[in-house]
Amino acid sequence: MREEKLEFNVYEVFAQTDSMEHHVHQFSLLASTPDLAMALAQENFLRRSDIVSLWVVRRDDIVRSDPEQRQQFQRLNKPYRMKQNYSGLSEKWRRYKEHPLPPVTLDQDGEDA
Amino acid sequence: MAFDDSRHALFQARIDRGDRIEADDWMPDDYRNQLIRLIAMHAISEVMGALPEKEWVPKAPTLFRKLAIMAKVQDEEGHGQLLMRVAEDLMQPLGKNREDIFDDLFAGRLKYHNVFHMPAPTWADAGIIGWLVDGAAIVTQGMSLTCSYAPYARALARIVEEEGFHIHHGESICLSLAEGTPGQRKMLQEALVRWWPALMMFFGPPDGSQMSSHQLQNMRWKIRTKTNEELRQRFLTKYVGRIRSLGLTIPDPTLAYHEATATWQYQQPDWDLFKRIVNNQGPLSQERLELRRMTYEEGRWVREILSRDEQVGA
Repeated sequence: MREEKLEFNVYEVFAQTDSMEHHVHQFSLLASTPDLAMALAQENFLRRSDIVSLWVVRRDDIVRSDPEQRQQFQRLNKPYRMKQNYSGLSEKWRRYKEHPLPPVTLDQDGEDA
Repeated sequence: MAFDDSRHALFQARIDRGDRIEADDWMPDDYRNQLIRLIAMHAISEVMGALPEKEWVPKAPTLFRKLAIMAKVQDEEGHGQLLMRVAEDLMQPLGKNREDIFDDLFAGRLKYHNVFHMPAPTWADAGIIGWLVDGAAIVTQGMSLTCSYAPYARALARIVEEEGFHIHHGESICLSLAEGTPGQRKMLQEALVRWWPALMMFFGPPDGSQMSSHQLQNMRWKIRTKTNEELRQRFLTKYVGRIRSLGLTIPDPTLAYHEATATWQYQQPDWDLFKRIVNNQGPLSQERLELRRMTYEEGRWVREILSRDEQVGA
């Protein structure tokens, strides 16, 4: 039996496939140095895909949400933030293009009847 | 243990509503242990699975085929690396890592897939492995994409994508042989005869009435969603027609599809033989284990140099 287990760092690997894409998490690997992590990332995950950029990050250096926080990420319903809740606008613009509303008149009292 | 009971209930509720579990989520010990068993076995089967095919790297018939089968061997080892990481993150709380996986393999505590204990004496065997063994693997892995443990499902998504190439590689070899000379066609037929029982064994014994409590629990936890028999039936539906369309004969005279029950009838393989094979008493079990042990031992100095402790002193 061996004396003691070898220790490696866990690195998380991120790759970007196009300059308009974000770096996307690929997977993790074991390496002792960042250089080795870079080399292994290409061997392990990028044998077929073309990439324009590669990041490796030591997992220990990542601040992560814990399981309890992740539960709290369940989003509250905030319809006023979502553009889907502002429907019917283009239909109105189309209508007013054909049938504009009457000019606003300034010589009245401004009191609504 | 009311506290523990409620944790189990909450966990099951998450599973039931389709949540996926991450490595740092709380999970029952049994869930963790089932996953470790399953994923370590899968990982080591990828590592051992490259061995029958690597025998054909020096003997591939053309340069294109040689490069392709090298790429496939490399992919299989790469899949082993992915799965090893998933297993290691699960094993970490137990103070274990991939060295324990290899120790378990060498000590016979960890089994690898029955198909990789078998010889691959001809080029047609390499073709059948790529086409039908990988085809069987995709049937299983396709199911496991829905696994409730997210890191495993994510690894499988990567793996299944590459298996798509493996299938094409295997199909291409088999189709070339099927379209070839009478001698090549005979070679393909003989390889199919050699591999058929191992392919029927691939999915494990039919569950029938004695479905193990492990399997039932794993289905409740959505670690798996189909039984061994459902997977085997799916494999038969997918491949029997194609195999026959090449003029090949499946070595099972009882094989028949029953419309009424929508099931395949087939000759049960020798399940006692299956048990012996996966317990490392198959035709090439010991030889392949010995090769893996030797390369593991001979590579130790490389791993030691690359390990963190050595780097600090460098």
